[in-house]
Amino acid sequence: MRRVVVVAAAATGVSLFAGAAVLLTGEDAPEAARTARTAPSPGDPLTPGEISRAGTIATGPSQEHMKAGRVELLYVERDDDKAEDDRRAEAYLYDYADDSLIVRTVDLGDNKIVRETRGKGVQPPPSRREETTAAELLLAHPKLGRGVRRAYANAAGRELRSAADLGLRGLIYSQPGGPCATHRCVRLFVRLPDGKHLDTSRIVIDLSAKKVHTLEW
Amino acid sequence: MFLQLALAVFVAAAGSVTPLASGAASAERPCGSPYLVDQELPSGARWQLCWEMRTIEGLTLNRVTYVPKGSPAVSVLRSAALAQIHVPYDSGEPRYHDIGSLGSAAIPLTDADCPGGERRKQVVCVTTRPRGHAYLKDGFGDPDLRRSKQGRELVVLSAYQVGWYTYIAEFVFGDDGSITPRVGATGSLAGTTTAPKHGWPIGVGSRHFEESHSHNVFWRMDFDIQGASRDVVEQYDFAGNKTKKRALKRTVLRRETKAVNQRMRWWRVVDPKVRNTDRHPVSWEINNSDSAQYRGPSDEAFTRADLYVTQYRSCERLATYNVAPRCGKSVDQYAGRERVKDPVIWVNVGYHHVARDEDADPMPVHWQGFRITPRDVTANNPH
Ligand SMILES: [Cu+2]
Repeated sequence: MRRVVVVAAAATGVSLFAGAAVLLTGEDAPEAARTARTAPSPGDPLTPGEISRAGTIATGPSQEHMKAGRVELLYVERDDDKAEDDRRAEAYLYDYADDSLIVRTVDLGDNKIVRETRGKGVQPPPSRREETTAAELLLAHPKLGRGVRRAYANAAGRELRSAADLGLRGLIYSQPGGPCATHRCVRLFVRLPDGKHLDTSRIVIDLSAKKVHTLEW
Repeated sequence: MFLQLALAVFVAAAGSVTPLASGAASAERPCGSPYLVDQELPSGARWQLCWEMRTIEGLTLNRVTYVPKGSPAVSVLRSAALAQIHVPYDSGEPRYHDIGSLGSAAIPLTDADCPGGERRKQVVCVTTRPRGHAYLKDGFGDPDLRRSKQGRELVVLSAYQVGWYTYIAEFVFGDDGSITPRVGATGSLAGTTTAPKHGWPIGVGSRHFEESHSHNVFWRMDFDIQGASRDVVEQYDFAGNKTKKRALKRTVLRRETKAVNQRMRWWRVVDPKVRNTDRHPVSWEINNSDSAQYRGPSDEAFTRADLYVTQYRSCERLATYNVAPRCGKSVDQYAGRERVKDPVIWVNVGYHHVARDEDADPMPVHWQGFRITPRDVTANNPH
């Protein structure tokens, strides 16, 4: 039923701790200094400082794999387990080589990893960085990539420079039986400058295999 | 003052029962500015809560406390958030699970998006608005006996851009103690063409049949009435269909449950030891009668119930595509046979969207949600 189209892997450089900075908005930046001085209340969201600290600590054991582009930090979320009084963060990391999700819980009081869980077939939402990677894979696809470039040129009146020109939103796609049962696969919504969305409902980007799958129904 | 005294007397008489005054609510400041919402409405009702824009769930409200006029605070919800928006199309495909990282999909709001309110960190609006009549009772010619009041509600909302859709997620807190979580879908139609039997003709003539689809919205509500202990979930039915009489039937849901909607059926979360001054246990009633009750195929078992009761587990966060290793994957798996000591309620509200000409463009918002109403939180109407 499913036609699998193999495309060349796009070269995606991996920089350390990139995920930690993703959620910082312009408004948050000047606040970082302020919140560093006053301790947050127990129910406050993580401060930008806490997010980057948790990211640094949580990625410590994965340095080698991250340098090799095998593991990426997706994002850091506050741990809101109500049985815990300590201020904690959960860092989500994905290992694309063995297709497992790693969640490391960091105690922000003593700056330690206090828990690690690992599992296959568990796919938290794509990170911003993964959305870009998925778009790069789509653009690298001979036929579909050409289609996206043509649609962009028609809508914008100029050539597409990079994936950053596209409005992107990714959702996890998982299908029992197919490669996306175990791989990390995303569906992309692609918005063009004229406000229209490409019909991408049949396109699935497999971040583990660095392939584009076309669904048929 | 009188009320405090009455409570003190009551405590002495009732022994182990916890009066509202001694609750853990607002003991210390649970969150700081700009995350704290503390809103007194004109009637004297007051709501306190903390908000957080989580990366995955988006707007999440924590430590929600209701303070009826003249009464002590009573904590209601430890946490409330969206848990999934499942969007299956009528031809069978595609079937989206729209919770991506909602936190990063949150749209910066303008003042026009938040009339009369306050924008917090650009992505959350905290405002109040009229909700129509709070009550109306004629004086039969005597103006002194006539009672009429307009109600008001606190709204905490965020909006997310997911593909062509914009979802507005509101949590509405009435000055009558009610809570209404709801989601409005707006933005644009997908533009997906389908066979006439799966769609509706939009645009000129009948060439383009826009595909019908469902929005099955799930919320996760962790009720903690005056703390996590003792809360019990009950289901109420009224027997006697097609007869003159109706008889109340209470089912205590002591174990995890997958419950479906029925005419007249409702549920409540009750703490039997927390009492109002009439000595009735304090509870919140849940009513999900507005759902289209979508039922999907067997590999979408999460669609096959309208309300789930599960024992609290911190790793159980989303209704489908859960994000934690070594944990259940969807709400139908969480709802096993475990004894429920600290209930979490998952509510599934479906809306079947059959497009119409008016939907283009921008698409008028269509709402879906459910109601939570206080039952015996106060001994009478305090407002
Ligand atoms: Cu719709």
